[in-house]
Amino acid sequence: MNHVSVLISVLAGLTATVAGGALPIRSRVGVAVLLTWVSCSAALVAAVSVLRSGHAIVMSTSKILPLTGISIVLTRLGAVFVLAIVMVALASTLYWIGYASHGLSTRSASSALPLFVTSMILVPFAGGVATFLVLWELMALTSLVLVLTDQSRREAARSAAQWYAVMTHAGAAAILLALVLLSAHAGGQTFAQIELHARHLSGALRGTIFVLALLGFASKAGAVPLHVWLPKAHAEAPGPASALMSGAMVNLGIYGIILVGNVLLGGGPVWWWLLVSALGVLSALYGALYAATTSDLKRLLAYSTADNMGLVLIALGASGMFAASGSRTTAAIAMVAALLLMFNHSLFKGALFLAAGAVQMVTGTRDLDRLGGLLKRMPVTGVVFLIGALSVAALPPLNGFVGEWLLLQSLLHALPSTNTAVVITVAVAVAALALTGGLTVAAFVKAMGIGFLGRPRSEEASNALEVPATMQLGAGLLALSCLALGLVPMLILPSLELGARSAQHIGVSSPVHGWISLHLFGLRGVLAPSLLAGGLFVALMATVLARRVSHRRSRSWPALAPVEPWGSGRRTQTVRMQYTSTSFAEPLQRVFDDVIRPARDLNVSPAAESHYYVERIAYRTSSDDVIERVIYQPLIVAVRRWGRLARKLQNGSVHRYLAYGLLALVIVLVVLA
Amino acid sequence: MNNATYSSLLELAAGLVILCAFVTLWRRSLSAIVRALSVQGVALGIVALVLGLHRHDAVLITVGGLVIAAKGAVIPTLLRRVLANDSRNRETSPLVNVPASLVGAGALTFLAYGATRSVVALVPTSAGRLIPLGLATLLIGFFSMVIRRKAASQIVGLLLVDNGIALVAFLATAGVPLLVELGASLDVLLVVVVLRVLAVQLSSKFAVLDLDQLQGLHD
Repeated sequence: MNHVSVLISVLAGLTATVAGGALPIRSRVGVAVLLTWVSCSAALVAAVSVLRSGHAIVMSTSKILPLTGISIVLTRLGAVFVLAIVMVALASTLYWIGYASHGLSTRSASSALPLFVTSMILVPFAGGVATFLVLWELMALTSLVLVLTDQSRREAARSAAQWYAVMTHAGAAAILLALVLLSAHAGGQTFAQIELHARHLSGALRGTIFVLALLGFASKAGAVPLHVWLPKAHAEAPGPASALMSGAMVNLGIYGIILVGNVLLGGGPVWWWLLVSALGVLSALYGALYAATTSDLKRLLAYSTADNMGLVLIALGASGMFAASGSRTTAAIAMVAALLLMFNHSLFKGALFLAAGAVQMVTGTRDLDRLGGLLKRMPVTGVVFLIGALSVAALPPLNGFVGEWLLLQSLLHALPSTNTAVVITVAVAVAALALTGGLTVAAFVKAMGIGFLGRPRSEEASNALEVPATMQLGAGLLALSCLALGLVPMLILPSLELGARSAQHIGVSSPVHGWISLHLFGLRGVLAPSLLAGGLFVALMATVLARRVSHRRSRSWPALAPVEPWGSGRRTQTVRMQYTSTSFAEPLQRVFDDVIRPARDLNVSPAAESHYYVERIAYRTSSDDVIERVIYQPLIVAVRRWGRLARKLQNGSVHRYLAYGLLALVIVLVVLA
Repeated sequence: MNNATYSSLLELAAGLVILCAFVTLWRRSLSAIVRALSVQGVALGIVALVLGLHRHDAVLITVGGLVIAAKGAVIPTLLRRVLANDSRNRETSPLVNVPASLVGAGALTFLAYGATRSVVALVPTSAGRLIPLGLATLLIGFFSMVIRRKAASQIVGLLLVDNGIALVAFLATAGVPLLVELGASLDVLLVVVVLRVLAVQLSSKFAVLDLDQLQGLHD
């Protein structure tokens, strides 16, 4: 039964790819979406049945890949990731139907998108090194094609695709090295063989493998300082593709780290997980800071992805540290927290990117300083964005809150460990979480307030209309699931616990339990999300009522002259008096001036008659990614210099090229002789 | 044919192959070089014929006949047509002068003997002892491609390389399958045709057949 659904998933995905490339333009997208849905549902069936029964799906064939063959193994851990990916994939492909008319119905896009979805869904199914690498590469290549499909911004898309291609291949090289080392020393390439033998390898070798894999997978997850491709590629990819990349693909980076660190190597010493936590803290802070200061809507979301993946890495690192220092309960809870944060991120970031894609499609811009007042014009998209923003800001009653609560609980209840480094890391992580939370709220207050509230700042924004129904439905689906999981986290938590247990072999059963109120096993934390939501609702209603009452009472007072609020007493207000994204972020930028070092440009043009009368003032700040400037630009310069040196070897003379060949041959012969 | 005649015939033909390789370096007139190449092709075919007669292998005899036809007649004729396009058909200024290039070729032959010692030890027959000559022909062909300027000389160098490979193949194995030999010959023929087109284009663009002109295409 399970085998059949895996086969159906693969075949439907491949058929969708072919159909997307071959069918005429009218039926192309519809058929491809339908088949992708079939593929997703079949994978969902397989994942749910694995989670239920606990029996892993095991299939293999030696027919397709030479030497190693294909091996498919889906464990409970993989099933959790399949679940998250399928949720985003179902919503974004539905959304794609409406979006397609906007330049995404080309043959390349219609066949790359289903293939991208299918390869992503299949990565957790991989049961061997060769299968894993093939699927991983397929996923990278198809997403690269998708980044390039937006024809309206060709230059930017090309540069983004270049960054993405280099980063993803550098990452893939590191992963390849790690997995090949692992399989060479474990004497087999299937994960089952490796799991059996990897425990007996030397500590230095295991450490090398883990660090290599961490580098590769963290670059896919967008952890700072390997995040530079994220704000470029996620921003330039068309709506549904960016939702898939940011909502689903980054998860697989996390999956890879758990796969190698926890499953294949079976956990490791504290320093591994300190490294993971350090990466997490750095990503969370840096991502949140840049999300708060950038004024490009999709770049903001991409930086926030780096921030959220940072949180997941903190949880993952904490779990590993606790497991290594012997506190099993907190380790189990931290692992569940990591998976919950990952799952939540898929839902709300998917919804946010779909909403941002809708905004870009309607207004043609992502610049927050040219948007505004969209909530009235695009009510559904606006509400979806609002729910996503509340969720990413970790406010109750949404799912983001539950995840961060769980993470904080596991960190705060960490037993006083003998290892000083762990104690310090936990303290730093809690502080970083607090700062990150604040910055994230600022970033999303800005995105929501500047983009969707107030009055439109441009012609395009004031002419915006709501997007087609399929797009609303696709984005709405994810927003609704955010709300549902925020109210009743137990809908997903048992599955996540099963996944976490299959990753860790710690043997704490159901560390989080209780339907109405969440209890933590062995700790004192209690949270009742639905009661909390009810309380919030009552409080909100009470405020509204109280305001009504006080309002009515104020009517009996003598009439006052009506003046618009915040108008400084002026009778008329213009659009330009509103806060812009730049001005909203300005205080923050000032506080973090030493980190961001924004380029400021102040142009004062005086009137011709007198210097004392100013005609125009133009103020512009641009905050480039400081890591890109400090680390990557010198690297690029060095590579370019090296390339120029290499060019001296080739001067266009055929004889010289032939001489190189002869010289090489002679040297080989002399060495052999 | 008794063993003594067989081995001396084989040595004579193989020696002719390497001798022709030296001649292509020694002579400057392109028509003389092509003539040497044609002789080399015939000698190579004779090697295959002798081997085939000795082993009573009809396929090898057929291959020998085909090699004589292709390398002794067809390819030289094509090359002569290339030369007909170029009035100054002398290799006037090779990058290395003739005496020095002959010394270089001698050194390459020594290298070939040195490098194939282990291979020769593996094939302890009278044919096996001649394997270094094939490698030497290959290296000399490569060398002449490096030092000659004319497009036609480049083609000749490439054909020397191919002949060297074919000689090693005949001597070291119990005969190459007909299909492989035909495939390789067809490849070479194709290369000659392509190079001929290139040569014609070159001469119509630059009025000479010097490959140095291509350097202008470098960006």
